[in-house]
Amino acid sequence: MTLATRDELLDDLRGIVGPAGLLTSPDELLVYECDGFSVARGTPRAVAFPTTTEQVAACVKTLRKHGVGIVPRGSGTGLAGGCVAFDGQVILCTSRMTKIESIDLADRVAVAQAGALNVTLSEAVAAEVARWNQNHAELPVGPMHFSPDPSSQRASTVGGNAATNAGGINTLKHGVTSNHVLGVEFVLPDGEIVRTRTAALYESPGPDLTGLLCGSEGTLGILTKVWCRLTPKPEHFRTVYTVYTLTFDACKSVSDVIAAGILPTSMEVMDGRMIRVVEDAFHYGFPTDAAALLLIEIDGVDSILDEQLERIMAICRANGARDIKHCSDPKRRTELWSARKRAFGAIGRLHTAYFTQDACIPRSRLPEAVERIVAIGAEHGLKINNVFHAGDGNVHPIFFFDESNAQEVQRTLEAAERVLQYCIDIGGTITGEHGVGVEKLAMMPRMFNPATIDTFQKLKATFDPDAVLNDGKLIPSKTLRIELHRPVSPNVPGGALCPPHHPPTT
Amino acid sequence: MPPTVTIHEPADLFALIQAAQRSRVPLCHYGVAHTGLGHRPPERHTAFQLAGEVMEHYERDFTARVHAGATIGAIQKALSAASQFLPIDADDDLTLGEVIDHNVYGPLRVGYGTMRDLLLGLHYADGLGRDIHVGGRVVKNVAGYDVTKLLVGAMGELGVVHEAFVRTYAIPSEVLGVTLEVDGAASVDGFVTPLLTSPAKPVWLHLTEEDGTLRLGLAYYGSSLANTAQFEALKSVIGQASGMKIVASRAMTLAEDAAERATRRGRRRQARTLVKIIVPPASTGEAWEALRQSAWGSQLRIDALPAHGVLWVGGDITADSAFNQAVTDMARRFDGVRVWHTRPDAGSEFEPIAPLPPDWAMLLAIKKTMDPHGLLNPGRTLVGEVVPT
Ligand SMILES: Cc1cc2nc3c(=O)[nH]c(=O)nc-3n(C[C@H](O)[C@H](O)[C@H](O)COP(=O)(O)OP(=O)(O)OC[C@H]3O[C@@H](n4cnc5c(N)ncnc54)[C@H](O)[C@@H]3O)c2cc1C
Repeated sequence: MTLATRDELLDDLRGIVGPAGLLTSPDELLVYECDGFSVARGTPRAVAFPTTTEQVAACVKTLRKHGVGIVPRGSGTGLAGGCVAFDGQVILCTSRMTKIESIDLADRVAVAQAGALNVTLSEAVAAEVARWNQNHAELPVGPMHFSPDPSSQRASTVGGNAATNAGGINTLKHGVTSNHVLGVEFVLPDGEIVRTRTAALYESPGPDLTGLLCGSEGTLGILTKVWCRLTPKPEHFRTVYTVYTLTFDACKSVSDVIAAGILPTSMEVMDGRMIRVVEDAFHYGFPTDAAALLLIEIDGVDSILDEQLERIMAICRANGARDIKHCSDPKRRTELWSARKRAFGAIGRLHTAYFTQDACIPRSRLPEAVERIVAIGAEHGLKINNVFHAGDGNVHPIFFFDESNAQEVQRTLEAAERVLQYCIDIGGTITGEHGVGVEKLAMMPRMFNPATIDTFQKLKATFDPDAVLNDGKLIPSKTLRIELHRPVSPNVPGGALCPPHHPPTT
Repeated sequence: MPPTVTIHEPADLFALIQAAQRSRVPLCHYGVAHTGLGHRPPERHTAFQLAGEVMEHYERDFTARVHAGATIGAIQKALSAASQFLPIDADDDLTLGEVIDHNVYGPLRVGYGTMRDLLLGLHYADGLGRDIHVGGRVVKNVAGYDVTKLLVGAMGELGVVHEAFVRTYAIPSEVLGVTLEVDGAASVDGFVTPLLTSPAKPVWLHLTEEDGTLRLGLAYYGSSLANTAQFEALKSVIGQASGMKIVASRAMTLAEDAAERATRRGRRRQARTLVKIIVPPASTGEAWEALRQSAWGSQLRIDALPAHGVLWVGGDITADSAFNQAVTDMARRFDGVRVWHTRPDAGSEFEPIAPLPPDWAMLLAIKKTMDPHGLLNPGRTLVGEVVPT
C-alpha cells in the first residue's frame, strides 16, 4: 500500500464515520495497542468508530477496497489478545454502537447493538420491568436480566461477550453467553449484512449459525446486533463463605458439592496469595493466613434455600473447612462478591505485568489439578495466584512477570503452555471462557487433530475467503503468523511475525 | 428399498463415507421419527443407522460420553443407575444422534434448555469421512469454533455425529405435576412471562386440549418441601391471573412424569399430518386461536410450548396445498416459520421449511464446505445454489 492510498483510505473512512469517528494519531492509538493480555501488542493503522450496522458495512467495504485487514473490537477487556491489530490492520470499534433497540418482556427478548455494555443492558431491562409493572399491576412480571455476568460486565460489550462466548460467576447454574443469545446480525468481510434470526423466535430450523458465531472471536463476521434472551433475575440467595487451611480441601469441597447433585449459582475459589492481595488492597476482613477461600452461592425459592445451605455446609465441614459463615444479608453478599470481582483490580495495584491464564478441567479433577498448576509455576521459578470459577472446573492461574525482561516473559509463556498441556492431558480444554485469541494459537494443534483444524480453517474461508477479518487469531493462519515466543525487540515480548511472502505493510 | 446398514464402529462410518465418495452414491440417515422432515432421499442412496451405548458416565462431574447411536431409552437407563438423567423430551427409541440432528425438544426446555444447552462436545464424520472432534468433556469450552452447536438441528446434512459429551442432572426426589384449566388459548400469552419470572417457575410447561378443554400442564422437580413451596407460589400467581384455575396436582416420580410427557408426545408421532409452527412466544395462544378459526379448525389437533412459541399442528387430516398455504401464511402473519414433519405428499410438493431463515445462503455455503461432494442427506433441506455475495 502506498502512502497516497493510505491517506485515501483514511479519508474514505472519515467520510463514513465522520472526523470524530476516526483515530489516527500515534498518541490516540496507544490505547488500542493491546487488550488485557499485554504480552501481545500491535499498533493499528487507525481505529474507526461506526455507530450503525450500515456504517460497519461501509467501513468493511472500504477497507477491502484498500486491501487492509480488519480487527473488530468492543471494549478491549479481552484476555487473549483477540482485538489487537497487527500488520497495519485497522480496528473497527463498536464502542459507539450502544443502542438498546428494543426490550420485549412478553417474549423475553432484548435487541442490543453490539457495543452496548453488558451491565447497561441489564439495567435497561430492570427499568423496563418497573415501567411494565406500573401498567400491569394486576399481573406483574418478576425481575429479569441478561444473565451472562463476566467479572468485566461493567466494561465489556454485549458483542464482545457474544464474540468470546463469555462466561462468568453465575454461569455454573445459568449458562454462558451463547445459552442466552437467540440471534445475531453480523457483517461479512465483503460488507454483506446477515441475520441469523427472524423476529423474536426461539428456534430457527436448520444448522445453528448463531451458535457458530458465538465464540468466533471476530474471525467470521463483525457482530452488529445481538438478540438477547431475558431470564428471571434471582431474588433470593444464600451465600456461604468458607475458609480452608489447604487449597486441596477447598477444591475437594467444590467437587463433592457437584457430585452430590447440588447445582449452586456459583462456586468461586481464591487461593491464599490471592486472599492476601485482595485484603491488602480493599480490607474486607479476610483471614490472611488462610490457604483458600471458597464462596458458594445458591439462589431460588426463599423458603427452601436453607435446606440446601445445610447440605453444602455439611460437605464443606466434612472437607475440613476451618471457618464457615453464611449470609442472606444483601449488603454483606454484595461485599463478598465485589471482593471476588475486584480481585483482578487488586492485582493491578501491585503488579504492572501479569496475565490470567484460562483453562477448564473436569470438576472431579480440580483438587489435584490446582496443586499441579502451582507446582508447574514453581518449577519455572514463578509465583502463581489462583482465583477461579471452581464449580465449572474453570481455572485461572495468574502469572506475574517483569515485562522488561524478555527471558522472564518467555519463561512465563512456557509455564503457561505446560499448564495448558496438563489440562488437555486430564481431559480438559485450553480455554473455558477467554478464547484463543493470539495467546493460545500455538496450543490449537495440540488440542485438535489436523482434520479438525482443517475444518476450522475451511469454515473461516467460507466466511472470509481472503482472510481479512481478524486474521491470525483463533486458528493458525497461512497469511499472518503471530508468534509470542519470538520477541520482536527486547521491550516488546510479543508481536507479529509474518511469513516472507506477506511482508508487513506498515 | 435397499437394506439399512448398521454402523457399530466409527471406523466403519468413515469407511462408508469414503466408499460413498468413490461410488458417488449418497448416504441417508433420517432417523426413525423424522422421515417426513425435509425432502425425500434421492432414489439411489445407501441408508444407514448407528448403534451404540453410554461409553463413560462421569458421575461426579455430571457428564457422560455417549455413542450417538445409543437410544434415549438406553441412555436414561444407564444414567439412572447413578440417579441421574438426560433432561430431554425425546422418545426412547430415538438415538441421541437423531435428537441432535433434529434438535428434538419439548416442554422440559423451560427448565433445562435444548440439546444446544446440554451438549458439551461432539465427534463426527464430515463429508470426506474424516473424524472431527469439537468441544469436549468439560462444561465450559471456547476453544475453536463451536461446531457442536452448528450441528444441532443440522439434519445430518453437515456431518454424521458418532459420539457426544452431554451434561446430566440429578433425578429429583419428587415431581409435582399440576394441571390448569384455561379459558382461552390467548389468555396464556399474557400469563407466561409473569409465571416464568415468579418463584412458581416450573421446569416444564405444555398447552394441550382434551375434549374441547384447554389445559396447561406444568411440573416442579425438587424435594417435597421445595415443590410445596412452589405450588403455593403458583396459587398466588393464578390468583392474579384471569381465566385460569388449578384442576389437578399430583406428586410422582420422574419415571411417571416422563411417561406422561411421552404419552402426549406419542400422539404427534401417530398423526397422519404434522407441521410445526414457530412464532414469538407471546403469540402462541393467538396463533392457536387463529388456527382453530381456520377452515381446518375443528379437525386439527394442536399442542404447544407457550414459553417458546412452538405449536405442533396436525391430525388425521388430508393436508393439501391449500392447507400448506394456510399454515405458511399463519407462520408469516406472526413473523414465524413453519416446518413440515409428516407430509401426506411424502415430501415432494411442499417446501419443507417456509419462510426460509434469513441466513440460509450462509448455511448452504457451509454445507458445501463440510460436505463438498454432497454425500450426507443430500437435498434434504439445504438445497439450492449458493448465491455469490
Ligand atoms: C477484570 C476482567 C475480568 C474478566 N472476567 C471475565 C469473566 O468472568 N468471564 C469471561 O468470560 N471473561 C472475562 N474477562 C474477559 C473479557 O472481559 C471478555 O472476554 C469479554 O467478553 C470481552 O468483551 P469486550 O467487549 O471487551 O471485547 P474485546 O476485548 O474488545 O474483544 C474480544 C474479542 O471479541 C472480538 N469482538 C469484540 N466485539 C466484536 C464484535 N462486535 N463482533 C465480532 N467480534 C468482536 C474481538 O475481535 C476479540 O477477538 C475479563 C476481563 C477483565 C479485564
